[in-house]
Amino acid sequence: MRYPSVIRPILVLAFFFLQVFGFAQDFPAAPNPPRLVNDFTGTLSATEVDQLEQKLLAYSDSTSTQVSIVLLGSVGPYDISDYAFQLGEQWGIGGKGKDNGILILAAIDDRKVFIATGRGMEGVVPDALAKRIVTNKILPNFKMQEYYQGLDQATDVIFKLASGEYKADEVMSEGNNIGAVLFLLLFIVLFVILPIIKNRKDNNNHMGGKGGGVDFWTSILLANALSGGGRSGGKFGDFSSGGGSFGGFGGGSFGGGGAGGSW
Amino acid sequence: MKKILIPVGIIAVVAIFIYSKAVGTYNQFVQLEEGINGQWAEVETQYQRRADLIPNLVNTVKGYADFEQETLTGVVEARSKATSIQIDPTNLTPEKLAEFQQAQDQLSGALSRLLVTVEKYPDLKANQNFLELQAQLEGTENRISVARRNFNESIKGYNSTLRTFPNNLFAGWYGFGIRSYFEAVAGAENAPKVQF
Repeated sequence: MRYPSVIRPILVLAFFFLQVFGFAQDFPAAPNPPRLVNDFTGTLSATEVDQLEQKLLAYSDSTSTQVSIVLLGSVGPYDISDYAFQLGEQWGIGGKGKDNGILILAAIDDRKVFIATGRGMEGVVPDALAKRIVTNKILPNFKMQEYYQGLDQATDVIFKLASGEYKADEVMSEGNNIGAVLFLLLFIVLFVILPIIKNRKDNNNHMGGKGGGVDFWTSILLANALSGGGRSGGKFGDFSSGGGSFGGFGGGSFGGGGAGGSW
Repeated sequence: MKKILIPVGIIAVVAIFIYSKAVGTYNQFVQLEEGINGQWAEVETQYQRRADLIPNLVNTVKGYADFEQETLTGVVEARSKATSIQIDPTNLTPEKLAEFQQAQDQLSGALSRLLVTVEKYPDLKANQNFLELQAQLEGTENRISVARRNFNESIKGYNSTLRTFPNNLFAGWYGFGIRSYFEAVAGAENAPKVQF
């Protein structure tokens, strides 16, 4: 080992601390069924939540940029900025690799709000602009307890800033589909067709009956297909009363961009 | 003759298994170490970004003729000291990390003194240019803490891989050692309570 033995216990201790005070339990689990607007406080009425949800959903469908709103009671001893980054990272707001997610986090009891921009959005909504959105749109409304208006106006500005930056790109998903189909074909050839051919030869050679190989692999294949079907069936069932439903967060990452304020 | 072949075969299989395991483990360590290096580069980038903002900040503040010179020179000196310390990621010893940390903390202290002093100058506080610089500075501090957390996470992944059996045996052979954290963030030891 490279380090003297005195340091080792300290390292072990630090490691222990990091593990024991892991952060997971301080953050609500990602909503299931997935939603973009999550009010854990009951500050917004059901209709307001639905309106915001439809607005953000429409935007996410057309541009693939995911803007999410979360209202909490309190963020406890965390900095609201730090809490926002970790929550955004854990939920994975924004697309993977594109990191085009934005989280508007408000802690109602703390009277604090923060707009966290994903790594891919830092250029479109720089910190200074995020600060302006907070000071000019959110804080004045929140001071008068007009939470819906504040969020509505803030998202309007964000949409304007971000429009044109990311388009919902079908090209990439198509490419992915082709890859998946090829993989499936390869899978079938390797594990279903080849064993069948091999088994036939075996039978011709009078080396015993059919091997278990085919049945085994077909059953795995069937099980996969079935479970896949089950999953999509579940998603279908989750349709909410409003127009469409949100497909889920994509695994975006947050690097510390954004700004906040308190009212 | 055939009797010899069986043990030889077993030995060969075991040898191949150990060899591939050893190679796999080595490569895993290398990848984790590269991850750490990348995260460290990110930490330094964000600190550099903060240092780059300071000349602008100082110039904006300087415009206010009666602004306390002492505070300004404090920031400038702390900045030049902080930027002079760069650590090669392959050489992240606890001592070097502490040195880096200390220089950056001095700069943080000087900056916060500056921001406190600004409170006495209402004109400056309302200056749009200053406000935006302040927002950028806050954003940079946030990025620093995210980069530090990611760095510590990658150290944690590396260290826990290194210390688990049988990786610890291989690590000894290859000379991979435990790496040190970039100091736990103050306040991390209070078990936080959050209500949703």
